[in-house]
This record gives sequence, structure tokens and C-alpha cells, in this order.
Amino acid sequence: MSDPPGIVCDHEQGCITCGDVAVPMRVVRVDRASWLAVCADEAGGLASVDVGLVDPVDAGDRVLVHAGTALQRLGEGEA
Amino acid sequence: MRYVDEYRDAALGQALAGDILATVEPGREYKVMEVCGGHTHSIYKYGIDDLLPANVELVHGPGCPVCVIPMGRVDDGIAIAHEPGVVFTCFGDMMRVPGSRGTLLEAKAAGADVRMVYSPLDALRIARQNPDREVVFFAIGFETTAPSTALTLKRAKAEGIGNFSCMCNHVTIVPPLRALLESPDLRLDGFIGPGHVCTVVGARPLEFIPADYDRPVVISGFEPLDILQSIRMILGQLRDGRCEVENQYRRVVPHEGNLRALEVMAEVFELRPHFEWRGLGFISQSALRLSPAYADLDAEVRFSVPGVRVADPKACQCGEVLKGVIKPWECKVFGTACTPEHAIGTCMVSPEGACAAYYNYGRFAREREVV
Repeated sequence: MSDPPGIVCDHEQGCITCGDVAVPMRVVRVDRASWLAVCADEAGGLASVDVGLVDPVDAGDRVLVHAGTALQRLGEGEA
Repeated sequence: MRYVDEYRDAALGQALAGDILATVEPGREYKVMEVCGGHTHSIYKYGIDDLLPANVELVHGPGCPVCVIPMGRVDDGIAIAHEPGVVFTCFGDMMRVPGSRGTLLEAKAAGADVRMVYSPLDALRIARQNPDREVVFFAIGFETTAPSTALTLKRAKAEGIGNFSCMCNHVTIVPPLRALLESPDLRLDGFIGPGHVCTVVGARPLEFIPADYDRPVVISGFEPLDILQSIRMILGQLRDGRCEVENQYRRVVPHEGNLRALEVMAEVFELRPHFEWRGLGFISQSALRLSPAYADLDAEVRFSVPGVRVADPKACQCGEVLKGVIKPWECKVFGTACTPEHAIGTCMVSPEGACAAYYNYGRFAREREVV
């Protein structure tokens, strides 16, 4: 089976998973039972993110995401 | 783009470059190490070193988790990937890292079911969807990535997913820095601290650098203006005779880090007595393995792992690059036998690696200089 669609390791931009790189995302909705949230990046791409380390978060909050996990909450205007 | 453009403003960058020029003492040589591969990438991508005075040199540190994985660990991973019924999952870069007998990508071509994932949660989802297969996640990364693996292992345990396990190669940032600072052939004046590692661990673990080794540290963000400002802060400390940990990346890094992440890591992991780093050799207590409570999810317990030790390739000078002793282009095989397409050393494999970053962005400026 091939890799899941949409997953590429971008050698021009660097690999956000392997490098010490995290991306700001906005929480779209939270499933409190599983601590998983649907988050959107700046370009509107959606991802499932573990928000167990930054709870409480709500839809509209901004978080810093690395390897599918939110590491910190961000205020408005913070990158 | 909102939240990003503010940190890439060219006029502000030029102003900061002017401040840096005004801060340095003419005739004094400065060597500043950026610890993190993410910083290396930004420095080359935005040409930050071109904005610095000639007497300020940036040295690339050991902070690429792909670059520091030794060949023996790759061989062990490939051995597990070839076990019957195994789905072997790892991050994209890891698939191209050469072991002594090829890469995971080549193992995939030879029939092993090796899949690239974007997060450990993706690997766990594959395990849920394939209950008749053994799904192994090859975990790499510093403290930035370790919480994600820890949370995934907690989930696997809570859900009772018996066909999931983890081959843990997580490493910690302080021991290799201490090893570098103890190295007699190293001369560094200050450190750009790893912003996202500190998001997890906070500023305190870096305090030994000014306390024990009299070198300033500035924890930095990853945008070009973040890095320029951090360099100015380091040079400012040197000018003023100060030596401390400062936090340029306050908008993200709290002084105490993320306490919940540290708790989860302490529950799931324990320190290995020693771990081999590519180019740096064995470093005590520099890596993590699963704690006894999670031993049933440890791939190294579940599968028979050869545990071979393989010496680094002789031609490869990744070790000296990682220590900042030589620049990437000073390596004997850089850009000739070793390129991103056919990498000999790990510094060329990962785009976060100093050699690949330099090959992709820096070599053109160097060629101009040489011509």
C-alpha cells in the first residue's frame, strides 16, 4: 500500500515532522472524550491534533502543533 | 500571511543587521552555534549569514534528530521491518537515512511494508485499521517530538491496542551540548537556543551553559527576524560581559516549559544509560527508552533486534560538521560523492541537516565567492 494521500515530506520547506519545527493552527472543533481536535493551518488544511497537553482549548483558539500534538496555546498575533 | 509576515520584514531585518554591526568589536572573531536544525534551515533559506559582519560566524549544531541516528539503529529498524506481518512506520526523512545495508526506502522496495507517517497518531490509526498486522512506529526526535510519542503510547495502552509498538530513538538536547562544550577542539562564544525544544522543557535545562561554561544562550524563534534578534542579544551579552539564558521566543516559550508534557514523558519514558550519536559517539543518559510500565509496547522487547553497532563511513565527516569543527563544504565528499539524492552521511539526508541545507541554499553564494 502506498503512503496515505496528502502526506509528503517537503524537502524545499524542510520536514515539519522531523525537524524541530512547529506550525500555528486554529482549533475548529474539539472532541473532549478523546482529547482530539480538528485544527486548520493558515492555508485552511485540516488535521487531527492531540490537544491533551494544552487543555482547555476551544474552537477558535490558536495552538502550536508539532507531529500531531499541540505543544502550546498561542495568543492572537503570535507565530 | 498574517502572524508570519511581521517576522520577515526586510527593512526591520536590515535595521537589525545594522544593530549587530554596531554591537561587535572590530577585530574580534565570534562563533555562535545554532543548536537546532530548524534554525539551520531558516538561516540558509533566508540568507541570514549574508546579513552578518564577516567576523560573526554561525556554526551548525547537533539538533537534527535524523542526522544523529547511527547506522546500527537504522539496520535494527530494517530488521524489524522485514519480520513477517510487520507494518513499519516512520517519518519521511528517516526512510532515506542509510544504514550499513541500505535504507528503509530500499527495504520497502525489497518487499517490506514500510510506510511514512506524519505523526505517531497516524501510526496508531494504521494499527487500529489492521488488527491482524504488527504495526511498529520508529520514533525519533528531541523533546519537541517525544511528548507526541508519549501521548500516543498512552492512548495505545488505554485502548488496549495490542498490535502497536514503538522502537524508541528519542534523544535529549542537554547531554550532546555538554559533550560539545567539553570537546577540546571546539571554540564557541554563544548559543542560539532551540525554541521548540524549550517550548516543552522550558529555559531551566539550558542554564548550565552560562553557569558551567560561561557562554550566553538566547532561546530563539524560527523566523528570520527572530534569529537576527537572537544573534544581536548574544552579541550584546558578550559586549556587556553578561552571561545568561535569555528568551527571545517569549511569545511561545514559557520559562517553565509545558509541565503536562514533561509529566507524560516521565511516565512513559526513562533515560537510557547511554546512546550512540552519529559522529559524536556514545553519550551517557542522552536518549529515552520506554519505561517498565510500557515495556509491552516496546518494539525492542517484542521483536528480536540484532543490536548491531556499525562504524560511521570513513569518508563521511558528519561528526566534525556536527561539532562545528568544519563547515559542510569542507567535507571531503560534500557535493560530489555525497548529495541529497545519494547521501553518505545523515547531515545530507534530512533537509534540516547542515549539509543538505547548505547544499540547497548556500552553495550558490559560495560558488559566487569562489568564482
